[in-house]
Amino acid sequence: MTSTLRISDLRVEVGGKEVLKGFNLTMSSGEVHVIMGPNGSGKSTLAHALAGHPGYRVTGGSVRLNDVELLDLAPTERARQGLILALQHPMEVQGVRPYDVMVAAGAPPEGLRERMADEARQVELRPELLERFMNVDLSGGERKRAEMVQLGTLRPPFAMLDEIDSGLDVDALGAVARRLQAATTEWACGVLVITHFSRLLQELTPTMIHVVSEGRVVATGGPEMAEILERDGYEPFRVTF
Amino acid sequence: MNTFAASAHSLLDSQLDQSRREVFADFETLGLPSTSDEVWRYAPLSDFDLENFDLTLPLVTGELAPFALALRSRAGVTIHLQNGVLISVEGSAPGLHVTTATSTARENSARYGADAFALLNCALTPNTIVISVDANSQIADPVVILNTTTGGGSFPQLRVELGTSSACSIVEYLDGGVDALVVPLSEFHVGNNASLQMTTYQRLAASAWHVARSTAFLHRDSRLRQSVISIGGHYNRSRNDAEIVGTGAQNELRTTFLGAGDQIHDFRTRQYHLIGRSNSTLLSKGAVADRARCVYTGVIEIEKGAKRTDARQTNHNLLLSPHAHADSVPNLDIRENDVMCAHASSVGPLDELQRWYLESRGVSRHDAERLMIQGFFYEMVATLPSGLAELVEEDIRATLAEVNVVTP
Repeated sequence: MTSTLRISDLRVEVGGKEVLKGFNLTMSSGEVHVIMGPNGSGKSTLAHALAGHPGYRVTGGSVRLNDVELLDLAPTERARQGLILALQHPMEVQGVRPYDVMVAAGAPPEGLRERMADEARQVELRPELLERFMNVDLSGGERKRAEMVQLGTLRPPFAMLDEIDSGLDVDALGAVARRLQAATTEWACGVLVITHFSRLLQELTPTMIHVVSEGRVVATGGPEMAEILERDGYEPFRVTF
Repeated sequence: MNTFAASAHSLLDSQLDQSRREVFADFETLGLPSTSDEVWRYAPLSDFDLENFDLTLPLVTGELAPFALALRSRAGVTIHLQNGVLISVEGSAPGLHVTTATSTARENSARYGADAFALLNCALTPNTIVISVDANSQIADPVVILNTTTGGGSFPQLRVELGTSSACSIVEYLDGGVDALVVPLSEFHVGNNASLQMTTYQRLAASAWHVARSTAFLHRDSRLRQSVISIGGHYNRSRNDAEIVGTGAQNELRTTFLGAGDQIHDFRTRQYHLIGRSNSTLLSKGAVADRARCVYTGVIEIEKGAKRTDARQTNHNLLLSPHAHADSVPNLDIRENDVMCAHASSVGPLDELQRWYLESRGVSRHDAERLMIQGFFYEMVATLPSGLAELVEEDIRATLAEVNVVTP
């Protein structure tokens, strides 16, 4: 069954300032959508607002996953409905082990350690690092890969990745891209990637690329958009509202 | 049941050691502390009546609690104490000796003149348990002390002596103690290049008074890793001092506690560097729920000339109820310039962003809070000897399941 994630006219404030000013995007399961845009255009705000981060205030709009309005739901329920965010800066949670989080998040415990270890190997993360407390004493790149392990374990219908590529070396970047590509067929995962760089897209084929400026999507296109951005930068797309 | 005074005098009269009577007289002259003494201001001394604690309870034979049994199964040597009395020693290890001391109360009490409870311990302890490790002996399996209190007043005294280049891990477990007074007094003498891992798990009844004091003496290039985990007690006081007398010594102390109901946890530490090129770190973390209170007061003291000392103090307290209260009072007393010192403290509820992070994976708020509170302790438990950490984690998890968490 195809699922649809529909973001309509989303408006979000951070610290009293409107950052998303009517954001629209629709995607289906199995698709890869990429959001690109300059610093401060609202990309991370989108990710945090969708995941219900307490520092972001939604002032208008709608985010529907099939028939369910996610904005009415607490962060836990949004994830359980099927939208999970991999953070740009995954937090340390002292004393809490990834395994226990996965169990609490609803991953079936049977064979869970093996599945997590397998996911770790797919993104070139040493599985023993998952025995550490969540993100504690992990490098930036290891944390990104640990987020990928969580996504691969929980298999959400939609995965949102906020600059998963920053802090990853070229080899790890390739592994992450391949894992995401595989997810689109393994469980028809809809992948929403926020990135600055087109490098990730060498091994992850986008369905659509959306260029964001000033809190809105200002241009949408196919994979060729990455080359245009690479060549011309964001400046031609800059819009002032 | 006898009163404290009657039972103490009958006990002292039966002792050959005249110095015990002298030390008891010192206590009587000093008297019990009052809350007007700064160091006792958090203690609910108005509820405290020494007369409630009989010292002449008969020994009882009973089954070990499941946790004690589990500890024993991991031990190389198990020392059984009841109300501070040595009952038996099971097992043996080459180079390790468990004896009772013959030194006089006066010798033991010399350094505790201003501490009423320590004086009581010196006068009234049934025996000083001495664990000594020969030079160059590495004791593979932990030495477990199972210290049960059946009631009344209990004054266990422990002395650990590690010879040069020896190593040992000791786990002390305190349970029982309904309506009891438990006053342990411990000294750890860690010889040159020796390594001691000392773990105390205090699991007394919620009605117990627990007033503990330990002092470690660290000699050249020695290492002490000390963990004190406290769950029980109506009033739980734990003073842990380290005196660093040898260069190259490394002292690490972790204290942690969980308070619920009307409990008071009162932690005191002293990291005393008498010589340079030594280091000490203290991490104190605790959580208080319901109307429980906690106080952490610690001092780093560095003597003049103790150059290149590195001493750190960190205290984090977690408030699990709007009616719980935590005080944190770190102090520095430094008489040397060429040192590195740091202290940090925090008091607050669970971190909202960490909680959101877990929730954003699909973890319920309730489970996220449980995981984080457990995690607060797991971090502290992670350095325990292998095999013990899982056991304590399990015990803490079960205890936490009964604690009411109210977050803002």
